[in-house]
Amino acid sequence: MPGADRVRDAAAFDRAVADAEQTPPIRSSGRLRRSERRAGAIFVIPAVILYALLLALPIVQTFYYSLTKWNGIDSTFIGLANYQRLFSDPTFWRVVMNNVILLAAIPFAILIPLAVAFLLNEHVFGWRFFRSSYFLPTAISWVVIGIVAVRFFAQRGILNSLLSTLGIPVTTDMLASEYTAMLAVAITFIWSVFGTNTIIFITGMATLDRDVYEASRVDGASGFATFRYITVPLLMRFIQFAFILTLITGFTALFSLIFVMTSGGPGFGTTTLEFYVYQTAFAQGQFGYAAAVGVVLFVVVFGISIIQLRLFRDRSD
Amino acid sequence: MTVAGRRIKRSAIFVVLCVVVAVMLFPFVYMLLTSFRSYDQFLAGSGFSLDSWQGLFDELPVVQQMINSAIVTVSAVALILFTSTTAGFAFAKLRFPVAPLLFVGILAGMMIPVQSIIIPEFVNIANVGLINQYPGPILVYAALGIPFGTYLMTTYFRGVPNELLEASLMDGASYRQIFTGIMLPLAIPALVTVAVLQFIQIWGDLLIGLLFLNQPDVRTITVGLATLQSARIIPVPMIMAGSILSLLPAVIVYLFFQRQLIAGLTMGMGK
Repeated sequence: MPGADRVRDAAAFDRAVADAEQTPPIRSSGRLRRSERRAGAIFVIPAVILYALLLALPIVQTFYYSLTKWNGIDSTFIGLANYQRLFSDPTFWRVVMNNVILLAAIPFAILIPLAVAFLLNEHVFGWRFFRSSYFLPTAISWVVIGIVAVRFFAQRGILNSLLSTLGIPVTTDMLASEYTAMLAVAITFIWSVFGTNTIIFITGMATLDRDVYEASRVDGASGFATFRYITVPLLMRFIQFAFILTLITGFTALFSLIFVMTSGGPGFGTTTLEFYVYQTAFAQGQFGYAAAVGVVLFVVVFGISIIQLRLFRDRSD
Repeated sequence: MTVAGRRIKRSAIFVVLCVVVAVMLFPFVYMLLTSFRSYDQFLAGSGFSLDSWQGLFDELPVVQQMINSAIVTVSAVALILFTSTTAGFAFAKLRFPVAPLLFVGILAGMMIPVQSIIIPEFVNIANVGLINQYPGPILVYAALGIPFGTYLMTTYFRGVPNELLEASLMDGASYRQIFTGIMLPLAIPALVTVAVLQFIQIWGDLLIGLLFLNQPDVRTITVGLATLQSARIIPVPMIMAGSILSLLPAVIVYLFFQRQLIAGLTMGMGK
């Protein structure tokens, strides 16, 4: 599941910034101060130049061009007209709806890995092999995952032939109708993030005190009770991390999957915000309007990160 | 719980985990089996041959596209390693004006979705004539990787004791000598983590490659596959062979560096 590194969780960000204020750098005497300053500037310059030209500049441009009518060459300033058009456009709300559907997939993308991690944590025979197998899709591009998913959900695909072997003859092409296509994308999404989330929970469970489990076993708690009343509450921090990571992945990393599986269709059935930016800009040439969609996506993702930052702060207080 | 009861429970868990393995590995098995069928064998659902693999290499520029992917990915990863290591060292160990502001700014870059910057990025890169040139996507991938790389390297370098650096500073070593002589060798585990994460990410990326390398002969393998698939004109077994070819480098990297990949992934969760 590529994409994990792009948007990191806000708590790490917060901690790194806090560290920056605390950690004393190398102590150097007065005559070294000037050379230290010069060295510092030289060492950060390559990163800063690339960052400024290829990340900071374009995000500022996106904000500016969202206020213009722009075809990629000439732009005319039109104020908030793009946003007015956007918020009264039924297609835009259809697209937002698709993002909401992805949101609904997240509980499954969390609970299934959580349950499996709980079982994996029993360290039964072959658990290392299981863990590696579950994590393997993380190395696979969304494009390849999408290519197989198309074969899986197609009319004469794997799913239908599996069902007919079980005596349920189905001939629907899930990718051919709006709502089932979005369902297929959501299922593929859940499958793809399964490994990542399982690893997150396994890592979390490894930090838990085994004595707590022993105590609950002695008290005669069932497996489910242990899971529900001990594992889950103690893992809250990891669950929250996985939740945010999955949410941001769903909102910003599914472009390739959608491109390969459905190209956003049928109609706008599987067009999410990120895909809508691409469509309006590169298929319709409405660069200014697309920039406005880009701003909305940015605000949503940045907002999620800020909310998470708050949540973490509240807990640590 | 009795010994027998525990054994039954563990067997049940084993069975459940096996079912999950089947679900997770099924696509790989399917790809592999399908790729060794001709189109007719695929339709008939029986028999095996090398026709599709042969067709893949004969009819499609996959070798060139694998080379393109390698050039773009390796260059971008190298650029990310270079820039984030130097910046990480400066942020962790040196005092210079506006450092905290720059650091916060670069880290905030992690929260920018690619799609929110892609339009001006495309226009800017086109304006400097780098569309369909390797440096175009290489620079964009590098910039996208810098925030995370810098974050990870800075965090890592902070763990290096200052006494180590102060001693060599007193001995008259320059900052460059401290960086190459002391910091870089210590940073290898962190460098590997950044490299593995970024390699898998960039190798599998579609959007940047699709826009910045749009001619078939300069396309990366991932973009080549995606465009063939979305046009729905290629026989299924052949695209499965192409998929396997394209995922091999990333899977090899995964198999060798699984631990570093997990370390990088769980970096954000705190200690």
